[in-house]
Amino acid sequence: MITTSRRARLGWNIATYAVLLTLTVFCIFPLLWTLLTSLKYEADIVTQTMQYIPKRITFENYVTIWTQSGFPTLVFNSFVVTATTVVLCLITGTLAAYSFSRFHYPGRGALMLGYLVIRMFPAVLMIIPLFILMRGVGLLDSRFGLALAYTSFLLPLFVWMLKGFFDAAPKELESAARIDGCTRIGAMIRIVLPLARNGLVATSVFVAIAAWNEFLFALMLTTSQGSRTWPVGLQLMVGEFQLPWGVLAAGGIISIIPVMILFAIVQRTMVHGITAGAVKG
Amino acid sequence: MSTLTLNGVRKSFGALDVLQSIDLKLEDGEFLVLLGPSGCGKSTLLNIIAGLETPTAGDIRIGDKRVNDVHPKNRNIAMVFQSYALYPTMPVERNIGFGLEMRGVETDTRKRAVDGAARMLQVDHLLDRKPGQLSGGQRQRVAMGRAIVREPELFLFDEPLSNLDAKLRAEMRTEIKRLHNRLGTTVVYVTHDQIEAMTLGTRIAVMKGGVIQQLADPMTTYEKPANMFVAGFIGSPSMNFITGTLVRDGEHVGLTTDGNNPASIRLPRVAANLDALLGRKVVLGVRPESFQADGAAPDLTGTIDVVEPTGPDTLVVLALGNQTITARLGPKLTVATGETLGLSIQPDSISLFDPDSGNRIE
Repeated sequence: MITTSRRARLGWNIATYAVLLTLTVFCIFPLLWTLLTSLKYEADIVTQTMQYIPKRITFENYVTIWTQSGFPTLVFNSFVVTATTVVLCLITGTLAAYSFSRFHYPGRGALMLGYLVIRMFPAVLMIIPLFILMRGVGLLDSRFGLALAYTSFLLPLFVWMLKGFFDAAPKELESAARIDGCTRIGAMIRIVLPLARNGLVATSVFVAIAAWNEFLFALMLTTSQGSRTWPVGLQLMVGEFQLPWGVLAAGGIISIIPVMILFAIVQRTMVHGITAGAVKG
Repeated sequence: MSTLTLNGVRKSFGALDVLQSIDLKLEDGEFLVLLGPSGCGKSTLLNIIAGLETPTAGDIRIGDKRVNDVHPKNRNIAMVFQSYALYPTMPVERNIGFGLEMRGVETDTRKRAVDGAARMLQVDHLLDRKPGQLSGGQRQRVAMGRAIVREPELFLFDEPLSNLDAKLRAEMRTEIKRLHNRLGTTVVYVTHDQIEAMTLGTRIAVMKGGVIQQLADPMTTYEKPANMFVAGFIGSPSMNFITGTLVRDGEHVGLTTDGNNPASIRLPRVAANLDALLGRKVVLGVRPESFQADGAAPDLTGTIDVVEPTGPDTLVVLALGNQTITARLGPKLTVATGETLGLSIQPDSISLFDPDSGNRIE
């Protein structure tokens, strides 16, 4: 009896690990492949026989993309757009989430549902009206315009996630703070926000990553080097007659570095934030 | 220190009337307990006094000032919450001093005030800790420290002891009473615990369905309840209600209980003239401790159903006609289930209620 159950458990363990390992390879391999490609000479990339591990290592691709293309500008634009999006979401989203969490007013439910419904439309559907809108107000091909467009579809995510964190903060704390001498907004800033800090960080990181990686809106709403972000810029490097694999790979690796750094910094808070919200919210 | 006056305070949430025209006046230094079951509106009333909720109608005055439109922070009140509502991100010292900090009190003055309050409540060794590192009783003390440090005109307590275990609750109850004696500040205290109400209050407002049923000092509330709700809510075990008809019983007035198996009770002498009520259907209210085991000339006789020795007393449940009554008798009582027991009722200890309205008959 005991041996069979032990054997069965061993079988399960092996199966579990096999599945996990497969999935891990599936996720990691493209990244690893990009990294390896970025370190190869152009001649070693397109070869007759597949070369997995580069025989010679070079950083030439990185030098090329950083010095001989507009890549630094693209990355800088992405930084500006991402930062603007996060700030916009932080200011408007925090207030909106707080109001949804604490107040009951006519249209509250409809508004919240509206925020959710926006997420259901495919981006392609929104892009033409948004394009016309942006052209109308003269925000086409501007970093602020792009950030505004990002905010329009990232804000719902931000508000809904943050509302969960605010819901978890006891209302009596604010009552106490108001009696102690805070205004409503003061109580929110001094008492609720520090409590929801983890949630705020986690939500902001989600928004930042989404804005950093976004492609479609950036492709449609930017036309010049002045406001173009890195995903679009990288895609435009694919020419009709040449495909600079090494340089593209190097660009890809550079672009994921900020995301990795962000994750590394906030990982602990973020996981804590997500689970805290999940359990209490 | 200040008076508190409520005039016709009402509160509705949509069609639901939570409070129906509350009037009361609290003198300087009084300790008012709002007592009632869950949902009777007592916490809502407290929140209205605090300014956390706005009344649908009516006036609230603290001192001579109408405060309906005054922000909570400007009402010069302090509140202790059921959950303590300590700010989790701040150490105890800042928690206690937060109200002073918000009012721009200088650091030195603030520190002295916080130290004083902390010493008074014996939490001065905990000033560096966060609320999460404190026990329930310590949190309770810190919450009270936060209230007293500002020297407000009015203290509001919202079921402050209900999250503590029984032993600690009794300790903190004494502590609150001591604090009130020392500071003399006017207090409004919400609870559903009748022991807290009886021990702490200088007056008790018993509430039900958004209406104050009785507003009186504790002993009056206990001995002369205004209606059956108040009578049943205060006291444990609660007052015995026996329905029956008043009849002539020699030179006394008696009660014949309802039902197909009527029993007779001889009522003790009372101040009021019961003769006028003869033949009338009433509810007789007798506190369990108003009974005495009396073999010689019992006022009523019943069969013992259950005997519950509690240590200081013995609770005896007696079948009387179709009804049961509970008597609180002496500790060394030798009675057994099934026996017949005669009880007498102490003079001036009974209440009579109208069976339809439930109101006290004087």
